[in-house]
Amino acid sequence: MERSWWWKAVLYGCAVVLACLYLIPTVVPEDKRPDFFKDHFTKRIQLGLDLQGGLHLVYEVNIDKAVSSKVDRLSNDIEDALKKKAPDVTVGREGRDDIIVSFKNPAGLANVDAEMLKPYRHELDETSRDAAAGTLRLRYDPERVAEVEELALRQAIETIRGRVDKFGVAEPTIIKKGTDIVVELPGLKQSDFERIKSIIGRTAQLEFKIVDDGTEYMKKLGASLPKDGPIKAEPESWSEKHSNQQHEDVYLRTKDRAGLDKFIAGLSGDLAVPVDRELAIEEISPRDSGDAAPEKFYRTYLLKRRAGVTGEYLAMADATWDEMGRPEVSFTMNRQGSDMMGKLTGENVGRKMAIVLDDKITSAPVIESQISERGRITMGGYGDPFKLQQEVKDLVAVLRSGALPAPLKKSFETQVGATMGQDSIDKAKFSMMIGAIAVVLFMLIYYRLAGFIANVAMVLNMLFMVAILAAFEASLTLPGIAGLVLTIGMAVDSNIIIYERIREELRHGKSPRTAVDAGFQRAFWTVFDAHVTNFVAGIVLYSYGSGPIRGFAVTLLVGIVSNLLTSVWISRWMFDLIVGRRGSVSATLSI
Amino acid sequence: MAANQKFFEIIKPGIDLDFIGKQKYWIGTSIILVLATCIMLPLNAYVFTSRGHMLNWNVEFRGGTEIVVDFAKPVDAHAVREALSAKGFDNVDVVTYGSTMERGSNNAFMIRLGAVSAMSSDQAKKVEVALARVGDATLKKFEFSEGGDKVYIRFDKALEPTVLADALKAAGTSTTQKGVQQFGPPQDHTYEATLVGLESEVRVALDAKLGAGAVSSIPQVSSVGAKAGKELQLDGIRALLGAILLIVVYIAFRFDFRYGPGTIVALLHDAVITVGAFAVTYKEFSLTTLAAILTIIGYSMSDTIVVFDRIRENASRYRDRAFDRVVNHAINETLSRTILTSCTVFFVTLAMNIFGTGVIRDFAFAMNVGVVVGTYSSIFIASPILIWLNDKYVAAQKRQAARPTAPRRPIRRDEEEAVET
Repeated sequence: MERSWWWKAVLYGCAVVLACLYLIPTVVPEDKRPDFFKDHFTKRIQLGLDLQGGLHLVYEVNIDKAVSSKVDRLSNDIEDALKKKAPDVTVGREGRDDIIVSFKNPAGLANVDAEMLKPYRHELDETSRDAAAGTLRLRYDPERVAEVEELALRQAIETIRGRVDKFGVAEPTIIKKGTDIVVELPGLKQSDFERIKSIIGRTAQLEFKIVDDGTEYMKKLGASLPKDGPIKAEPESWSEKHSNQQHEDVYLRTKDRAGLDKFIAGLSGDLAVPVDRELAIEEISPRDSGDAAPEKFYRTYLLKRRAGVTGEYLAMADATWDEMGRPEVSFTMNRQGSDMMGKLTGENVGRKMAIVLDDKITSAPVIESQISERGRITMGGYGDPFKLQQEVKDLVAVLRSGALPAPLKKSFETQVGATMGQDSIDKAKFSMMIGAIAVVLFMLIYYRLAGFIANVAMVLNMLFMVAILAAFEASLTLPGIAGLVLTIGMAVDSNIIIYERIREELRHGKSPRTAVDAGFQRAFWTVFDAHVTNFVAGIVLYSYGSGPIRGFAVTLLVGIVSNLLTSVWISRWMFDLIVGRRGSVSATLSI
Repeated sequence: MAANQKFFEIIKPGIDLDFIGKQKYWIGTSIILVLATCIMLPLNAYVFTSRGHMLNWNVEFRGGTEIVVDFAKPVDAHAVREALSAKGFDNVDVVTYGSTMERGSNNAFMIRLGAVSAMSSDQAKKVEVALARVGDATLKKFEFSEGGDKVYIRFDKALEPTVLADALKAAGTSTTQKGVQQFGPPQDHTYEATLVGLESEVRVALDAKLGAGAVSSIPQVSSVGAKAGKELQLDGIRALLGAILLIVVYIAFRFDFRYGPGTIVALLHDAVITVGAFAVTYKEFSLTTLAAILTIIGYSMSDTIVVFDRIRENASRYRDRAFDRVVNHAINETLSRTILTSCTVFFVTLAMNIFGTGVIRDFAFAMNVGVVVGTYSSIFIASPILIWLNDKYVAAQKRQAARPTAPRRPIRRDEEEAVET
């Protein structure tokens, strides 16, 4: 035996051992696995949604609805402002983006000057002005639409994630695909489908709510908690910047979010949350706080239930720096919003104002002075500047997209019950067995020993395929199984092509060794080309398909690669074992 | 010595069938099949009223909702249809789902609805009227777009979302308790109501007509908006053409340009005839079917490559022979492997077709048809086109190069004739 043969033996042996190692987490149940696997080989094949059961949803962000209601609001705002100066004004709307201002007396157009339009400069562009007819056309800034679309998508994904997390779905997938949001919730109970669908589809709301501090209720609630329970009551205090008035409050703090939710939901009788208040939760990650605590935790705020101002009144938000060079968020309210914000903050100087996105507090800064048109949110001065910067950006994204709440529109839905999946798996397994047995028998009868080699190669091919799928934690879908079965059929094809070539060479009177050499050599490019074309089809399929089809494409691609390895190189190596012994060249070849 | 070795052979090595000589029959058959497909598609859409579409598009392409309903006891498809139309569902398609053998019970039905949401525009109008006054608030605007799962309702006064949810329920549409929320600024008094899924409405309708508890479970629901469906159709066609183009580019690169057109025609031929099989049987055409067609294209190509490879090899070896004879000989030489490789795939997919379920079955059916057609096309379609192109090429070269240099491509049909005469 040649030396290189032994080297290959070692190489292929290692590949097989490695494949087996990767397979074990998928095949052996967790409690029976040796400890070694808990640390090193944990990845396993996931069952796709169609096999495991679950919910698959695709949403598109309904940006048209969002923009159109935003422009409606702006047009009302402008009408209010102009009516005071020129009662003969009419402000109309056209399409999604346009506002048309017209005056009976064309001279009234002079009222619409730069000063008047100043609050809208970020959002509206003047597209035409007809002094003779007394009309003016304003259009919603197209750049803002594009920007908002992107922000809305990002915000929607975050919101959906937050909502799904509450349901405790094991491995939710929430991803952006183009302008769509794909949500996959495998293993979700069928009874939860309806509930979770209605919750996911809701439009996220951005609200500014005042924190009610120093209440008797919070003190009472804090006192009712056991001393060493998972939820602790913590006091906090801050002083008003100008009057130095002290504010004191009690809040609840825990690391167990679910426990806190449960605790709040269970409050009743004396401890029930007052009707016009709500207990909202903020997630504090370690980077936000000066605490040494390395883990994130959750804290509560007692909020006034009715929102003072909502995100729709925001005109603009930007990341800026304060006079000390610390990052901060500055925002501008529109005309109507300025009045409301002025009232809200004027009455509550010194208190905290929570910025609530979809019932989750994003930030709760102290109101230092009355805010009307413009406000600034200074970030807490802890942490490293880079992270602070990141936080500022996040808040800006929330504020900007909150200014235009974009409803989600469901465009695609698949629900699969778990029983359906098991049934399909069983049927697929059965047909796989039948197919495999047929192919194995055929190869043995037709090619005898060589057929046996092809069968070994086929089994190895399956082994490698499944191992690679496990290593990538690919999900196995119903079409994916079809791909696996199909691979059984195709795996032996390369061997058939090669063997037929070898037979031809033998018929020409060549010795087994030269025939094998020539057969593998000549057939290689044929086999290679065939694999490449299949691979191309697979790649197109992968880039086109979604969900289950992707699963098919992945098995197909993986199958093609491992097939080339097993049916060309590994079977060649096995042939060398038969025909390659120097000095003992067999006269015939069992093929 | 080894030359006398006997092999187990189905197709004997000495086989010499005249494929090319009879090519007009084969090509004729293909043309008939392709034409049949082209005729069948409009027939399905416009003549066979029970079919109504060119292909039995799955909900993914058609848009709408597909609901599998498992009944507790045997029911009649007709009764199901009636129960649904009584509730105002139009264009309902009810078919038995799976066979007795397959599922152990034949109480399952696939219900196909054109609608995506639980509210039709007729219903929406009724709801709008019913909501004219809720408490002391008056309706100002009722916004619902066909196929949407949300309604935007604006009042002149503030309302508690739960009150509105109750009012909606009273009007005959249901949302969940959390399904109604404020939309936009509070001063707008606008509310967003998310409607419950169509399947819940279907369940209610069926239970009402067939007795409570008639529906034992709803194991599968899929719904696709009409727009998304159209996009998927377009994307599918694009993917198909993209795959064909890429494969042809590869072939042109690996072989030479004369081998390209034959493969394009063969691939298109395979795709069209497979689609034709779906048009005739009116089996469901889904994304998985499309995946199967793409696989068929790849697979059919491998078949063609086996033949073409041999043609190329023989063409340079037997320079003195006529090209069409070389091709015919190459086809015969590779016939055994062509048939064998196709058989293994055919039987494996046949097993899937017989024993599989749902998508797997449709996939396998497409593969069965495609493998047969794909094998056929590499012999009877791709090769004749190659010969034809080669003839043209040689003729053109001869005309162009009237000078007495030896032809670069020696695969000339006329050369042999010249020797004989």
